[in-house]
Amino acid sequence: MQVRIGIFICNCGKSLNNIDFPKVKERVEKFQDVVYVDLSPTLCLKEGREGMLSAIRERDVNRVVIAACSPELKENVFGKALEEAGLNYNFLSMANIREQCSWAHEGDVTEKALELVRMAANKARFLQPVEKKDISVNKEILVVGGGFSGMKSALELSGLGLRTTLVERESALGGKLGEFEGFYGIETTPEEMLSSTRKAVEENGDIKVLTSAEITRVEGQAGDFTVRIRTGEKQVSQSFGAIIFATGYVTKILPQDFELKPEVNIISQRKLVDMLQAPERLERRPGTIGFVLDVSDENSRLPILFTLNNALAVKERLGSEVYVFCKSLKVDSEGVEKLYREARERGVVFLKFEEKPRISKEDGRVKVEARDVLLGEEVTLLCDFLVAEEKVLPPEGTEALSSMLNIRTDSRGFYQDENVHLYPVASERKGIFFVAGCKGDLDFTRTSTDISSAAMSIYKLLSPEKAIVEVEKVKVEPEKCRACLTCVRVCPHGAIQMVRVDTEKEVAKIYDHACDGCGICAAICPAKAIRFEGYADEQILAEVEAIGESL
Amino acid sequence: MENNHVLVIGGGISGIASALELANGGLSVYLIEKEATVGGYVASFCCKATDVCSNCSVCVVPQRIKEAVTHPQISLLTNSTVQKVSGEVGNFRVEITQKPQYIDAERCIACGLCAEVCPNEPKAIHLPSFEAVPYSYVLDETCCLHFKGEDCNLCRDRCPTNAIDFKRKSKSQELSVTTIIVATGFEVFDAREIGSLGYSRYPNVLTGLDLEEIFNREGTLKLASNGKEPQNIAFIQCVGSRNEEHCYCSQVCCKYAMRFARLIKYQNPSAEVTIFYIDLQTAGKGFAEFYKECKESIRFIPGVPVEVLEAHSGELEVKFENILEGKVNRETFDLVVLSVGIVPRKDSWDSARILGINLGDEGFFDAKPFDFNETNVEGIFLAGTCQGPKDIPDSIAHGMAAAKRAMEVLARCK
Repeated sequence: MQVRIGIFICNCGKSLNNIDFPKVKERVEKFQDVVYVDLSPTLCLKEGREGMLSAIRERDVNRVVIAACSPELKENVFGKALEEAGLNYNFLSMANIREQCSWAHEGDVTEKALELVRMAANKARFLQPVEKKDISVNKEILVVGGGFSGMKSALELSGLGLRTTLVERESALGGKLGEFEGFYGIETTPEEMLSSTRKAVEENGDIKVLTSAEITRVEGQAGDFTVRIRTGEKQVSQSFGAIIFATGYVTKILPQDFELKPEVNIISQRKLVDMLQAPERLERRPGTIGFVLDVSDENSRLPILFTLNNALAVKERLGSEVYVFCKSLKVDSEGVEKLYREARERGVVFLKFEEKPRISKEDGRVKVEARDVLLGEEVTLLCDFLVAEEKVLPPEGTEALSSMLNIRTDSRGFYQDENVHLYPVASERKGIFFVAGCKGDLDFTRTSTDISSAAMSIYKLLSPEKAIVEVEKVKVEPEKCRACLTCVRVCPHGAIQMVRVDTEKEVAKIYDHACDGCGICAAICPAKAIRFEGYADEQILAEVEAIGESL
Repeated sequence: MENNHVLVIGGGISGIASALELANGGLSVYLIEKEATVGGYVASFCCKATDVCSNCSVCVVPQRIKEAVTHPQISLLTNSTVQKVSGEVGNFRVEITQKPQYIDAERCIACGLCAEVCPNEPKAIHLPSFEAVPYSYVLDETCCLHFKGEDCNLCRDRCPTNAIDFKRKSKSQELSVTTIIVATGFEVFDAREIGSLGYSRYPNVLTGLDLEEIFNREGTLKLASNGKEPQNIAFIQCVGSRNEEHCYCSQVCCKYAMRFARLIKYQNPSAEVTIFYIDLQTAGKGFAEFYKECKESIRFIPGVPVEVLEAHSGELEVKFENILEGKVNRETFDLVVLSVGIVPRKDSWDSARILGINLGDEGFFDAKPFDFNETNVEGIFLAGTCQGPKDIPDSIAHGMAAAKRAMEVLARCK
């Protein structure tokens, strides 16, 4: 097809006084392959676009160059106009002669404007169409992790009419919510919350539960993942459209922080909850209970949630003296400041340290010595039990799973890279989401919103009308591919896989639905076998050649 | 159900997140914004990156705003407010009033010729900001000569696209929607309420919001008094948060203060930065590591100052209790930044009355326990900071979660 370029120049209501538009028009008419040039004061408005449309049709224009304002503002408007004229929306090349030319400089900028238009026109000659198509997607969703968040995720998806398979590693659904003794001021107990959620899951026809099961392999891309699930000796492969990971966290008292000797009464929050639930089993009522926070973990809101709820429960049920040693209270979750004030009013004493408290044993009790920064004094406390800070850690298998998924973890080893564009629940790979504890931290508001927003993202991804993708915007030219796997390794979105083309040869293939259009593969391919439409080598070179041609 | 319209009240980031999710999920959305432009507070915030990104999330906003306003399924109504709501879930009728649109945003090409000819100072016609969406000039009736009764039509006559019409009237319309998402946002605490901190009395006492706007506009920080780079800066945390009146943590101030502190330090390594705090909120992805980095070059002092005075030299004298030494100290700074918190909007009482939803103890809209989007009215959901303080990612997530609730209602009705 012969290239026929139409150049449409807009002088923005005749406001761009430092460009000599008649001169620009006269000069661009002589550019290669240009069949039509028009000057309009208001190209972006309806009347301007209509003029453009009829010119495209009458002059049989098949590449459109628009010299106007920033593409940031109006590219979509012009793209739509092209489609209206029956052209592919990618046959558009824009030159920003307003923000990047007229407005940016004092004095006459006609030459620069000309250069920008020449660059755009040169590029236009190499534009290829980008097609869109509907792709079919699998609407079944996999939820990994049968704790409260996993169960809630499955229920929320069911609310949107989506079916899920819920895979839990342990022999029963449940997770760690039950480790909370209760939520101060709220009547529903964690046990009740768990059992009602579990019941809802079991009664829900959209949810299939697999316990004592693990996923061992994930292949494919958004809309069509193939997952191998192992249940006991049996392995099955199943297809899913999207995956939610709700694999949670574990907590551990680090031995380097607290010397753990059985005779010393240094206990975990879990143990304290056991005591609170069966106080009659205690030999005697503990007179003093201490908590130590912020020794190894300043990154999580979870310890303070446990501490405040448990400290209040201790006050209520055991009547012990309660002291909390901490650095900075993590009160940036909903309702925590109130809980903190309540605790203080009920007599819980908060002591703030800068240097790590020294912990030893004295007369069968735990001795905590710390310099309290508020009092400016050394404080010594003898407590019957010391509830030690537990570091929040990723559960076993996180590393293996993340490398299998080709997904980066954060600096603490939890899921989800530290990248604002992925927050709160997305990952580098489309169709894979992370909710609640497995990202390293959680509280009630954030957990609840995580789950709902992941469910919504999945609905959006898999609802039929919307699974439209741009086809081969980034594509591999099979004859040039040397199967070096460089692109497969660097693709952060897991969008490239090797496919066999004949018995001899395997080549890289880019899956459109998984591709994010970042262009890393195109830049790195040593054989230059990957073409990124819009930024292809010949297009960029054509633009570069146009610079300074008039000099 | 034939009607698949949802109303989103508020064009801040939460409202936009809700609207986008719903529209991409196949529904039609009315997005109502009281101001002339969408984006809310976040639109005036700045990038806080140094040589590396500081994860402030401001950059994720413009892209979403642009996507929302150009989305074919989203009808944007700016300068509009909700007057009355009746009906129930599945069939709410909502009365909307739109202020007169003297400048047609569809036709305005932002060429700026109108402002060139406007004889008033300051200009009665202006572009709200370079990032304004819609990218259209707006007319300020209060200082426009035409509306003061003078025979001035300069801007109208100069406009190349005939976008200006002084005769336009305010419009009312009734919308019929299935569900309503309330995303009316927050207000920044008015630091003048704590008179002893000297805000609005001393030019070199600024708030966190001022800093956002200055960096967004100028990219760097100069003292209002002498135009020089500040050398000794104090941040005071928890201004308007964690007190008797506002019994909550605003969740954003520690993070923005530390990010600004590092940005100031990066731009001017000789500057001394001190942060006065009660408790530092270091939870959140990667933030404890960020804090560790900050500690190397920024001074952190526990305890917040009670008074800021201007010394004879023009410098600011900050009086604080030095907890570590157990005595009252005075130190001078050339700039004091008050890390003001998030407070409920003053008009939230009116909104609550119109919508029939409850306000919580702190004045934010009340959500059900453990379901942070649901209100006492079925079919009306909360999104973002109108429910309680949130940072940008949390606001977006909360907006998405609200959209999910609305979507679920429609799925159920089908």
